[in-house]
Formats: sequence, C-alpha cells, structure tokens
Amino acid sequence: MHFVIQREQFVHSVQHVNKAVSSRTTIPILTGIKIDTSSEGVTLTGSDSDISIESFIPKTDEENEYVDIKETGSIVLQARFFADIVKKLPGDEIEISVQDQFATTLRSGSVVFNLNGLDPEEYPRLPKLEENQTFSLPQNLLKDMIRQTVFAVSTQETRPVLTGVNFENDKEQLTCTATDSHRLAMRTVATETDNDELSISNVVIPGKSLSELRQILEDTNDHVQIVVTDSQVLFKFKHLLFFSRLLDGKYPVTNNMIPEQSKTTMELSTKDLLHSLERALLLSKEAKNNVINFKTLEGSVIEINSVSAEVGKVTEKITCQSLEGEDLRISFNGKNIIDALKVIDSEFVHITFTGAMSPFVIRPGDHNQMLHLFSPVRTY
Amino acid sequence: MAAIKKLSDELSNKIAAGEVVERPASIVKELIENAIDANSTRIDIQIEEGGLSKIRVVDNGSGMEKEDAKIAFLRHATSKIQTEKDLFKIATLGFRGEALPSIAAVSNLELETGTGQDAGTLIRYQGGKRITFASAKGRKGTEITVRDLFFNTPARLKYLKTINTEIGNISDIVNRLALANPSISFRLSHNDRQLLFTNGNGDIQAVLAGIYGRQTASQFLKINNQSMDYKVEGYVAKPEINRASRQYISTFINGRYVRHYPLVKAIENAYHTLLPIGRHPLVVLHIQMDPVLIDVNVHPAKLEVRISKEKELLNIIEEAIRTQLTQVTLIPDVDQSRTKRQVTEQVPLHFEQRTASSERPEDYPVSQQFYDTSVSTSAQQREPLQNVTKESSPAVSSEQEYNSYQDDSETFDDELTNSPGVEQSTQDRVPTLEPIGQMHGTYILTQNEKGLYIIDQHAAQERIYYEFYRDKIGETNSQTQDLIIPLTLELSPEEDMIVQSYQKELAEVGVFLEPFGYRTYRVTTYPAWFPSGEEESTIRELLEQLMLDKKISISKLREDAAILMSCKAAIKANRHLREDEMISLIESLRKCDIPFTCPHGRPIIIHFSSYDMEKMFKRIM
Repeated sequence: MHFVIQREQFVHSVQHVNKAVSSRTTIPILTGIKIDTSSEGVTLTGSDSDISIESFIPKTDEENEYVDIKETGSIVLQARFFADIVKKLPGDEIEISVQDQFATTLRSGSVVFNLNGLDPEEYPRLPKLEENQTFSLPQNLLKDMIRQTVFAVSTQETRPVLTGVNFENDKEQLTCTATDSHRLAMRTVATETDNDELSISNVVIPGKSLSELRQILEDTNDHVQIVVTDSQVLFKFKHLLFFSRLLDGKYPVTNNMIPEQSKTTMELSTKDLLHSLERALLLSKEAKNNVINFKTLEGSVIEINSVSAEVGKVTEKITCQSLEGEDLRISFNGKNIIDALKVIDSEFVHITFTGAMSPFVIRPGDHNQMLHLFSPVRTY
Repeated sequence: MAAIKKLSDELSNKIAAGEVVERPASIVKELIENAIDANSTRIDIQIEEGGLSKIRVVDNGSGMEKEDAKIAFLRHATSKIQTEKDLFKIATLGFRGEALPSIAAVSNLELETGTGQDAGTLIRYQGGKRITFASAKGRKGTEITVRDLFFNTPARLKYLKTINTEIGNISDIVNRLALANPSISFRLSHNDRQLLFTNGNGDIQAVLAGIYGRQTASQFLKINNQSMDYKVEGYVAKPEINRASRQYISTFINGRYVRHYPLVKAIENAYHTLLPIGRHPLVVLHIQMDPVLIDVNVHPAKLEVRISKEKELLNIIEEAIRTQLTQVTLIPDVDQSRTKRQVTEQVPLHFEQRTASSERPEDYPVSQQFYDTSVSTSAQQREPLQNVTKESSPAVSSEQEYNSYQDDSETFDDELTNSPGVEQSTQDRVPTLEPIGQMHGTYILTQNEKGLYIIDQHAAQERIYYEFYRDKIGETNSQTQDLIIPLTLELSPEEDMIVQSYQKELAEVGVFLEPFGYRTYRVTTYPAWFPSGEEESTIRELLEQLMLDKKISISKLREDAAILMSCKAAIKANRHLREDEMISLIESLRKCDIPFTCPHGRPIIIHFSSYDMEKMFKRIM
C-alpha cells in the first residue's frame, strides 16, 4: 500500500473514526485504525463494541485532488499513536507506505515515522445491512433530538435496554424516548418520508453511540440517511458511515406513564428556574442526594429551598407567569430537572403536577414536541 | 545474715510454671507431648470447664516404673536426653524436664502409671507437695488428671479468658498435635462432648477431615518435595478455602509444631495473588530433617526454632506448593454442601468450539494447535460483526478426556490427581467455555457440558494484563537520570551493611551510592525507571529487599505498580461486551499462568455444576 494524502482531509477523517476506537478492549486489533486504499480513494475504519465508523476520502471531488494512490492495500495502525501523529505532522501532505511485516512509514515534510502495523486480515468486517427500513433527517434536527434526550439514559448496565434511546414512529411522527427510570425525556418530530412502509419500533440505540454520533453531526440542513435492521443501525453521511449496535430487549412502554390530568400547573421563565435550581443544588450536592424542595405560595409565587445538615440552607422565591390549581409541596432531584431545563430552548416552561406523590411533567412553553417527566422524591 | 538464698524447690517450680504453664492449653500440650514421647498410639483427652476444673490425659504408652515416676516430678528430670550431645539432636518433643513439676506446682495432680508388667504407681501432688505415693493397678500406659488448676496462683487464674476461649486454645493445640501425629488416635472431649476424633491410621487427610469436616478436607491438595537435607510433605487447601488469620497454617519439623515466621512467609509467597488481601491459607506442612540442622532450644514452649540452610528449605516449600497450585483447576464450585458420591459415567468426548471460516481447512489435527487462539480468534473476527457464527465440531483430545475424568472422580483419590507425569497443561485448567451472554455488563455467563461458569470480566482481564505487566515492568533499560542537586541518604547500621556487601547488585540495576561520611551516602544519578518523586524511598525499598531476599528483583519491587497498571488497563464492570469480545477474553484467560484469581486474590471464575442447578430446581432431590 502506498499513497499520498492531503493532511487536513486525512486528520479530519482520522479524528472521526478515532471516536469509535476504545483503548480498553478484549480484542487487541480493535485498538487500531484500519486504512484501506482502492482506486477510488482511502477508507478509514474504527470500531469498538458499540459502534463502527467508516470514513471515506475520495481521490478527487469537483475542485480538488485529495489522494494520490500509488499502490492499493490495507493496514491497521495503533489508533493511540496514529491519531496524535497525523495531527502533529508538519507538512500539507502525508505519504504512507507499507512494507513487509506490516512495517509502515509515514512521511510529511522532513519527518519520518516508522510504525509497526497490524495484520488487516484480522480486523473484523463491518456488517452489511439490508436497506429496507430507511428514512432521513436533517443533521441539525437529529443532533437536537439526541441532545434533548440522551442525557436521560441510564448509565447502569443492570437494565441494559435503558442505556439507550428508543426510536419509534407512527404515521405522522418519530418519537425518541430516554429514561433511567427516575426521569424520562421524550422528543417528537414530524417525519417527511415517502416511504409508507417505514415502521420503526423498539429501535434502541445505545446512549454512548448517540453521544459519539452527535459530535459528528453538523449544524446543517443536509440530510443524514438512517438504515435500521434488527440488530444494527447505520447513519449514512456523504463520506462517512456510522454503525451502531442496537440494544437487545424490549423497551418499556412509556406512553401511559405520562399523566393526562393535572392538579397544579404553572408557567415560568426557564432561566429563572434553572438558575434558582443551580443555586439550591450548591447545598444539596453537599448532602449528596440532590434533593430540592419546592412549594407554591400565595400570588403566583413558588419557593425553592434546599438544606444540607452540615452546611446550611437556601431559600429562594420565584414569581411565575401563571400558577393555577391546588397548593403543592414536592421534593425532587434537582440535578435531573437542571439537565432537562438545559436542553429546553424555549423562554418559558410549562410544568404540570398531579400531587406530591405523582410524577410531574415539564414541557417547553411554545411547542409540544418535547416532554420531560420526573418522579418526585418522597420524604418520610 | 545472708540476703541471698537458694529458692526452695516449691518456689522455683512455681516460677518455672509461669513460663511453661501459661494456661490450660499449655498443660494439655505438655501432657500430650509426654504421651507421644512415650510411644502411645491412643491418647484420650477429657476436659471440663475449659480445663480449669479438670484435664485428664490417658494414653497407652510405655508408662513409668515406680522410681521413675517419683523422679519425674523433680525439675530437669527427664528420660529424653542424657548427655549434652543429645541436646543438639533432639528427636523427642519434650526434653527440658520442666513440665511435670511445673504443672504439679499449680494444681492438684494425680498420676497413675504402669508399664504393664508390675503393679502400677499412683502419685498425688497438691500445690507442688506430694501427698500420696502408692501402688495402683498395672495397666500399661499413663493417666494424668489435673484438677483445680491455678488454685494457688490467683493472679494467673484471673488472667484466664472465658471457658470458650480456653477450650478453643486447647482444641487448637490438640488439632495441631493430631496433624503432627496422624498415626496416633486422638480423642478430645469437653464436658463429655466429643470435639475431635481421629482414627490414627496415618493419613493426614483423614485427620483434616476430623478437624475441618470431610467436605473441606477434600479441598486440600497433597504436596511433597525434597532436597538433600530436607523432605517436605503435607496438604494445602485450594485458595477458595481461606481464613482471616494465619492460625490455620500448621508447620511441623520432625513432628514438632513450630511457629517460624520465614516458613509462614514461604507458604504465603506460594499463594501470592491467589488469596484476597487479609486472607490466609489452610496448610499442614511436615518437614523432615536431620535434628542436627535445627535448634529448638530457643524458648521453653519450643515454638521458635533456628534452622540451618533455611533458604534452601524455604525454596523447596514454596516450590512444592506453587507447583501444585499451578497444576490444578481452581474454579470454586458454588454448592459445596452436597454429599460426595462415587460417580460412574462414560468419559465424555470433548467438543472444542470451532471457529471455522471458509478459508480454514476443516481437518484440524488434534493437537495443541486446536487451542491456538491467535488462529481461532482471528478467524472469528473475519466474520461480519453482527453474526458471529458458532458451530461445534467434535475434537477428541485424549489428554483433556483424562483430565475431565479426574475432575469427575470426586474422591480422596490423590494418587491419581497428584501422580507425577499427569500434569494439566495450563490451557486445560480453564475448560472450553461457550459464552451465553453478559449480566449487568459485568459478568460473562458461559457454559460447557459441566454446567454454568460465571466470569468476572474485569478480574479476568486484570489477570491477563497483570501477567503481561509483571514481566514487562521488570525489564528496565540501563538509562539513568543525573541529579543536579545530589540526594544524600542517611542509613541505619543494617542498611549500611547491605550497601557495602551488595555494591555489585545495586550497580547492576543502576543504583550507585557514593560514601559521603559516616553511614551517609550520596546519590548523583538514579535509574530512569524510578517513579518520579520516589527516588529516595525506592532506594530504601531496594535495600530492604536486599536485606530480606539477598537479591534484587525489580518486578517484585514494582509489583504494586504492575497491579495498578493492569487494573487501569482492564475493561471495567458496567461495560457491554460483544460476543466475539467475550470469546477473545476467555481465550486469553485460558492462556494465563494462574487464570483463577485476579492479582488482588479475588476469584475470576465461579462454577455452577449441572448437578447444582438440578438440585436448586429440585429436579433431583
């Protein structure tokens, strides 16, 4: 294998696939990045137990020539070193050539690195997916959907299916749900698909995979194609393929968990509430339980307080835009609410309670496409 | 008037009693040792109220003549050594001639003895004064009854602990003596309740069964080893059976129980990384040697000894235990309580999981190559990620068959498992396992025909990396780092000696100590591998190592670092593993030297046999 490549393009690709490489693995070859060259261009692959990323650098596009391929072939190089090396090479071009025994030479400017490569034959192949369940979304929308849900997934493997975000669709919309069984985040978007056959349910993508994907997604309207199979999901970009495994198991039914009635409703400034909770959390963090107490007062005012036995207490009053219904005293995990408020882009939030012992819902003030559900903390 | 007087016998016996007769257990020990020295084959010990109200030791030994019995109560009267020369080759347990008079001084003692020929002798002592000296029936053997112990030394009486503590101590001593003398039948009873019975057929494992129960005794492995001067044999427990104290390590030299720290250390070294921190093994070790090589006359209780050529002895002990522990499969079974039964079953064929890919020839030769994981895993990996196919093909490995047969033969049959020449190759010690799945992102569930095996993924990889780093970390290069401001070390006299006598060894690892005044040394350069900021303490550790081991082993010195590195490098709990990752992990684990415990001594694999499962589900009652 022998080729010369534009450094900038190459670094960009290497950084992308490096996201899929984990330093801790039980299969040593997976600590490497695989490089394949064909007559069309250079393909880089990185993989771990959850995701695989394949990035392609074409020989040329409309304007530029990126790669000069002198000889095709493959090699696997230790990601830990390779990613750092290409980033720090001085020249505009990098020349990579592989000799016997997978010995690899990198040249750039006057720098020469000799690296010991690994046998590309040992590298696992990426899955081939059947593409009958396919839809597409604008990158920026998908990025938002991930941002607004993925924080709520469980980090404990004790219930593996809860470590992912569940994707489901019906005729009009696509719904993403994430829950760690104490809080739940749900986001819906209208789907514009010409594929009437599309039926996605119980597609649970690991939260870790989505967090990586989010970093690759760009803030553009360009669409990303999504291919779903029983065990894998593939996000297809122009020159990049992002594979993730799907989680096994049945995602819990969450629709019926959302209370339909409410006893107390209020609307207030997202920022006011967020900042107030952040202040209250300063003390409850100390008590290690993040518990914040919340109660309604006369005249559309709510009081937020938290107590740490060792440090002291904090009390704050906020005036709401509106406050209706029964008086209420409730305690909750402030950290969870803050996480949710941070992803709500609206100026106001709408909160509905159904008593101190029941879950409550926070929605953005200006649209109905997002919902956050929280279970209260009971004090006894 | 002269102020200095020779003490009366009575008083000096009382003083001596303080050393020899510390508590009821020490009396039991002295009396049993006398019985053993008298060539008894049966010793019956009856205790009441923790030994305070009664200790009776009945033996069937040679007994004493009338005159001997009388003299026995004089201090330094013994039949066991005659001349000064004998003192240096002591083959009996007692020899100082202090026990009987000491015991008699602090209790009411009754001695009935006979040689089986003439009439026997009955002697009664009360607080050190003889009150009866008469004839008795002529049974062969000796019967000693000690009552009202410490009645005349109230301070000592007060110092005694509860009855339970005392009986615990007594039973400890009797256990040890029973282990030391498997061909003597011991019976220990407390308030008429039998605590120990050994049949005296010479089998140590039978004694172990009497002490720990049959189930535990079956988990002991037989060891033996010898050199020109020493012969070592005994039983060591599999690491899964361990205790919180070193109490359960019993070492015997020529049949005498000794408490010698270097011996214990050698044993624990052999168990290194197999036991969790703070846990200790169960070991019975018999060492045979020429009495000339050992000095037991260090302390009246004779627990401490001085051994010549100690290093050689320690080496063969460590080697004996380690060899045995690295040969057997140490996967703990879950349910140990089931009754052992003789199993007859057809020897199973062994199915090695085939990880075939189309490019590989199907006709594998039946040999080690089959376990060559670099072949099998790479073939596996060439499959697409999502559908790792599994097929099994029969592969008959005669060695494996034999081993599996051994595993199934649940008997005390040590001749079979320990016979030389039958060594389990490392890979066979962890059986072939097929992953079923992962639990809580932490445990890998695997199965084979013997049942369910649960593997702790973190511990497993920690072990794999530990064996890698352990060797790696010892390979240091010869680079040294110079110091702009030299380090000065002030050493203790011992350290100073070490530095002077081991200049060469220190220089080999790149440590150069220049004399810089009285017991002070200057360091101007140190090896580059020294952990930064710990230069001085590392040098001191090296000196300490030299002091203890007389040699430098960097891998040993940096073992903690190796353990830490392996812990950090290993996959953590709470992490999903794909099937091919699990397979790869199991295969790497099978290649480890000791694939059963992580470097901190926690277990890696737990086994639920099919029988356990069937029992749990009451499929068999």
